[in-house]
Amino acid sequence: MPFDTDQTEKAMTRDPEEYAIRSPAESTSPPPPAEAVMRIEDMDVFYGDFRAVKEVSIPFAKNEITALIGPSGCGKSTVLRSLNRMNDLIPTARVEGKVMFHDENIYQRHVDPVEVRRRVGMVFQKPNPFPKSIYENVAWGARINGFKGKRGELDDLVEHALTQAALWEEVKDKLTESGYSLSGGQQQRLCIARAVAPSPEVLLMDEPCSALDPIATLRIEELMMTLKKEFTIIIVTHNMQQAGRVSDRTAFFSVDVDDRGQRTGKLVEFDDTDRIFTAPGEKETEDYITGRFG
Amino acid sequence: MSLAAPERPEVDLFPTPEEYQGLLSKRTRRARLFQAACLLALTVAVVALVALIYTIINDSFGLVAVVNQTEPEAVVADLGLDPTQVTLDDLEYDQLLGVLQAGISSGVGRRLEREQRFYADRLVFEPQDSWDELCASAEPVPGCTAGPRGHANVLALVLERVVQPDVIATYPLVPSLLNPEGFEADVAAGFEANRFGDYRPDQVGIEWRAWFNWTFLTSPSSATPEIAGIRTAILGSAWLVAITILFAVPVGVGAAIYLVEYARPSRLNDFIQTNIYNLAGVPSIIYGMLGLAILVRVLEPFTSGAVFTPGTPPSDNGRTVLSAGITLGLLTLPVVIISAQEALKAVPSSLRQASMGLGATKWQTVRSQVLPVALPGILTGAILAVARAIGETAPLILVGAASFITVDPSGPFSKFTAVPIQIFQWTSFPQEEFRKIAAAASLALLLLLLILNAGAVILRNRYARKA
Repeated sequence: MPFDTDQTEKAMTRDPEEYAIRSPAESTSPPPPAEAVMRIEDMDVFYGDFRAVKEVSIPFAKNEITALIGPSGCGKSTVLRSLNRMNDLIPTARVEGKVMFHDENIYQRHVDPVEVRRRVGMVFQKPNPFPKSIYENVAWGARINGFKGKRGELDDLVEHALTQAALWEEVKDKLTESGYSLSGGQQQRLCIARAVAPSPEVLLMDEPCSALDPIATLRIEELMMTLKKEFTIIIVTHNMQQAGRVSDRTAFFSVDVDDRGQRTGKLVEFDDTDRIFTAPGEKETEDYITGRFG
Repeated sequence: MSLAAPERPEVDLFPTPEEYQGLLSKRTRRARLFQAACLLALTVAVVALVALIYTIINDSFGLVAVVNQTEPEAVVADLGLDPTQVTLDDLEYDQLLGVLQAGISSGVGRRLEREQRFYADRLVFEPQDSWDELCASAEPVPGCTAGPRGHANVLALVLERVVQPDVIATYPLVPSLLNPEGFEADVAAGFEANRFGDYRPDQVGIEWRAWFNWTFLTSPSSATPEIAGIRTAILGSAWLVAITILFAVPVGVGAAIYLVEYARPSRLNDFIQTNIYNLAGVPSIIYGMLGLAILVRVLEPFTSGAVFTPGTPPSDNGRTVLSAGITLGLLTLPVVIISAQEALKAVPSSLRQASMGLGATKWQTVRSQVLPVALPGILTGAILAVARAIGETAPLILVGAASFITVDPSGPFSKFTAVPIQIFQWTSFPQEEFRKIAAAASLALLLLLLILNAGAVILRNRYARKA
C-alpha cells in the first residue's frame, strides 16, 4: 500500500511542540523543528531478547542534515537502519514503537519494506558499488523501481544523478567501465549517485567517510551540503568534527550497562548542532564532546 | 574507564639471548621438517597420478601378434593386382564388395544388406521381390530407408569378415619400444608351448597397434575385441551427463538459493543442512538401490516412457537412460547444493544490502546482483560434481545398464550402457585383448573428463571476466 504523500502538507502544519524531545533531566529546551519528514517515536530495537536501543524519539526535519553521534556500541547505526527497515534483513531484529514517515508508521503490517527503502535511500560505511559498469550501477535502481523513461531519458537520469554526486565530470568518458575501477572516494560518490538516482526523499548515511582519506571526506561533506537542498539527510558519524561541520541538528547517544552487563543504547540529547557543541544540556554529552569519554 | 595493566613479573620469563638462539634454530628445523613433509605428500600424489596414466597408456598401445584368416596381400593378389604396390585401402568400392561377396555366405550378406544396403540403385544379396515385401511390411528393415554404405564401411566389413584378424598375443607399450625382440621371443616360445592352437608360426605377423584409435571410438561394441568399439558407451555416457545436468543443476541451485538467501535459521533448516552434508557422503550404490526401487520399479510407466506414448511404449521396462540419469542426478545433487551454497555465501553481504537498500525485492537482488557474482563458483562446482558422476559404475549396474548392447541410445527411454560399465565388463573377460580395449576405454573416459573440466574452466573464466 503506497504512502499518502499529500500528508506532507499536514506534517508541515504540525504544532512544533509535538517534536519536543524531553531528555530525562528536562534540561534542554527542544529545538525549533522545521517540517519533519520522519519521526522516531518511542522506539525500542531488539535483537532476539536483547534490547539494543531503548526509548528513542527524534524528529528529522526536511532538507536538514541530522547527525547521530555517540560512542561505539551505542546503537546509532541500529537506529539509522531502523529508518528504512534494513534491520528486517537480520532475522532476529524487532522494532517496537513507531517510525513515522510523513504520517504513516513504516512498521505497520501493510507497509512493504521494499517501498520504504525505495523512498528512504541508503549509503553504507564501506563503498559497495555493484560489480557492474558505472552506468549500470546508477541506472539499476531506477530500472527495478519501474522507471518508465526510454533509453535517452535513462541516460539523462544517470547523468543527473552522477552530477548530483559530483562525479559526472570524472566518469562521463568511462561509463561502461566497472564501478570497481574507481578510487575509494569516487566509489563512495558512485554509491551516493546510485542512492539518489531513484529520487528518494530521505538519504541515510552510515559513516560514509570512515573508509576514506581526508580529501575524499571533504568532498563528500561538500556534497552533502548541496544534497540537503533536495533531500533530508541523516548521517551516523564517529567524527565529531564532521558532525559539527555538516549537520544542522545532532542526536547524542550513549550506553546504559545493566547489572548483567547488557549494553543498551539510549538517546541522551537531541538539539541544534551548535548547542550540542557549545552548550550541551547533559554532562554526558559534554564529556563526550570534549573528549573525556569514549 | 581504564583497565589496570597486569603487573610485569619481577623475573624475566623470556629466554636469554643465548637460549633464544638455540630455540630459534630448533624452530627453523621444525619448520623445514614440515615443509619437507608437505612436499613428500605432494610427491606421493603426483607419483600416484603418473602411475595411473602410465598403466592406462601402457596398455592402450603396443605390439601385437596377428593371424589373418586371409592375408590382405592374398586378397589383392587374387584381384590380379601387385600386393607390393596396392593395399586393401586402395581398392575401389566395387572391388571391395566383390571381395566381400566372395568371402561371406549369402545369409550373412542378406543380413548386412538389411542393415544398410550397398548400392542405392540395386541390390547385391537380397532378391528384389523379397526386398519389396520386407519394405512394404509393418516393420520395414533399416536398410529400406538408410542411404547406401560408404567405402570405409565396406573396407571395415572386409577386414572383419574376410581378413578376420585374430590377435594371439599382445605386448605393452614400454617393452614394445624398449625391447621389441622380446615379444618375438615370447611369441616363438608360445608356439613351442603349443599355446596358439592350430596356427603356424609363419601365419603370424607382428605389427603395431593403437588400441585407442578413431575406429575404436566410433564403432559399436562387439564380441570380437579386435573390432569392438565404444561408440554406444560414449553416447550412453553423454545422455547420462545431459540428464544429470538437467536434473541436478536447476534443482541443486534452486535449493541452495533457498537455503542461503531465504531460509531463516531454525531447527528444521539445521536438520536439512546437516542431512545434505550426510547425503553427500552416502555410498553411490545406495543411490543405485534408490534408483532401482523408485525410478525403475515404482515410476516405471514414467521412466519407460509408457505414459507419454500410449499403446507402443518406447521401452519395455524402466531400465532406461532416464532412470539412470536421474539416479546420477540424485547422487550429485548434495554436492551441487553444497558447492552452490558456498558460492552464494562467498558473495559479500554488502552487495545484498546495497541492492535491498535501493528498494529491490529479494528476488531482484538474488537474480541481478547475487547470482551473477556466484555463477562462476556455482558452475565450477556443478561441473566437477557431474564429472564425478560420469565415472560412477555401481548405481548404473543396479538400475540396469546393459552389459552388451550395440544399438546407440536414441532418446531418454532407450536402453543404454556407459563407458565405465563397458570397462568393467571388458576387464572381466579372460582374453588379454579385452584388457587392452578396457585400457583404451579408460583413456577415452579420462579424455571425456578432461573435456568437461576444461569446459568448467572456460565457463568460469568467461563469467569471471564479465563481472
